[in-house]
Amino acid sequence: MEVTIKIFRYNPEKDKRGHYETYKVEAHENDRVLDVLELVKGHKDGTLSFRRSCAHGVCGSDAMRINGRNMLACKTLIRDVGANITVEPIMGLKVAKDLIVDMNPFFDNYKKMLPYLINDNPLPADGKERLQSPEQRARFDESTKCILCAACTTSCPSFWASDEYYGPAALVTAHRFIFDSRDEGAEQRLHVLSETNGTARCHTAYNCTEACPRDIQITKAIGELKMAMVTGKID
Amino acid sequence: MSDRNVSLSSALKYKGQGPYLTYILHRIGGAMMAIFITTHVLATFTEMQGWQIGDVINDIYISPPFQIVFMFGVLFHLINGMRITILDLFPQQLIPYHRQAILIEWIIFILVYGFAVVTTITTAIGRMS
Ligand code: SF4
Ligand code: FES
Repeated sequence: MEVTIKIFRYNPEKDKRGHYETYKVEAHENDRVLDVLELVKGHKDGTLSFRRSCAHGVCGSDAMRINGRNMLACKTLIRDVGANITVEPIMGLKVAKDLIVDMNPFFDNYKKMLPYLINDNPLPADGKERLQSPEQRARFDESTKCILCAACTTSCPSFWASDEYYGPAALVTAHRFIFDSRDEGAEQRLHVLSETNGTARCHTAYNCTEACPRDIQITKAIGELKMAMVTGKID
Repeated sequence: MSDRNVSLSSALKYKGQGPYLTYILHRIGGAMMAIFITTHVLATFTEMQGWQIGDVINDIYISPPFQIVFMFGVLFHLINGMRITILDLFPQQLIPYHRQAILIEWIIFILVYGFAVVTTITTAIGRMS
């Protein structure tokens, strides 16, 4: 089938502002949007720039706006979006070139969540693992699935208003460690979350939950963080 | 590097789903109330000064078309706010059902708003006859 793809283009060395260019390519309905982008880059215009790595929904490189919604290009089939496709960069982060955005503010916010296990207590008597029951593991299972694609954060109206807001992805990371029974850093992280740019900026638009390619219930995770801050209880 | 590429129009064009629509309507309702209260206070003040502009604004406020539009904003803000509060209080149990909660919210809103619209119209007709 013939696919018409309209792509946002911006070259910082030439363009003052972004514009759109339209290409027509032959593709199969079971191809992914990423395949179509590869066809354009390979056969129509080699200057087209976009991020991709695994091509299988694992690395989180290729989040973009496809027909107006954040998705991973490698997980989006042509048959699901139709033969007329518009592809734009995710919003709220500066565009470096074409579909590539500057991810630094996103990762700066991520780092503020102290994304590592904090536990200075001595190891258990056998000197090996800090054991955890299946129930304790299940408590934060969903938030371990995040691939840091930024589809959630860049679909959030609060983040569009200000990239000072830590954003849903950072809050999912905080949830992943705060509810881990082996971790002792909950108080530090809750303190960070209680700042102006923390959970208070979530106004439950649910765009993040709708955009997440890993089906993480992000607004629920943020709600649990808000509750933990109000009650002081992590359960 | 370009700017952060977020304008009001690009934000409004983002294809969020039903929850995003409630988010936008909630803000519109809030803005309507803020504008109403501010201009209402100013209109009352100018009316007390004997300036005609106050009368004009207050005449608009008591007109049925204005009230029908305004009630949409106020009632939606109220009912949506209650839905958000209830879900926020029980995140683990209720947030997974946010879509169903929004459906219930719309049903309640349509009933309450429909009643308010019918009452406003019948009252206006009663006044005219
Ligand atoms: S929570 Fe989902 S949408 Fe957000 S960064 Fe992680 S995987 Fe991507
Ligand atoms: S290319 Fe790795 S997630 Fe799409």
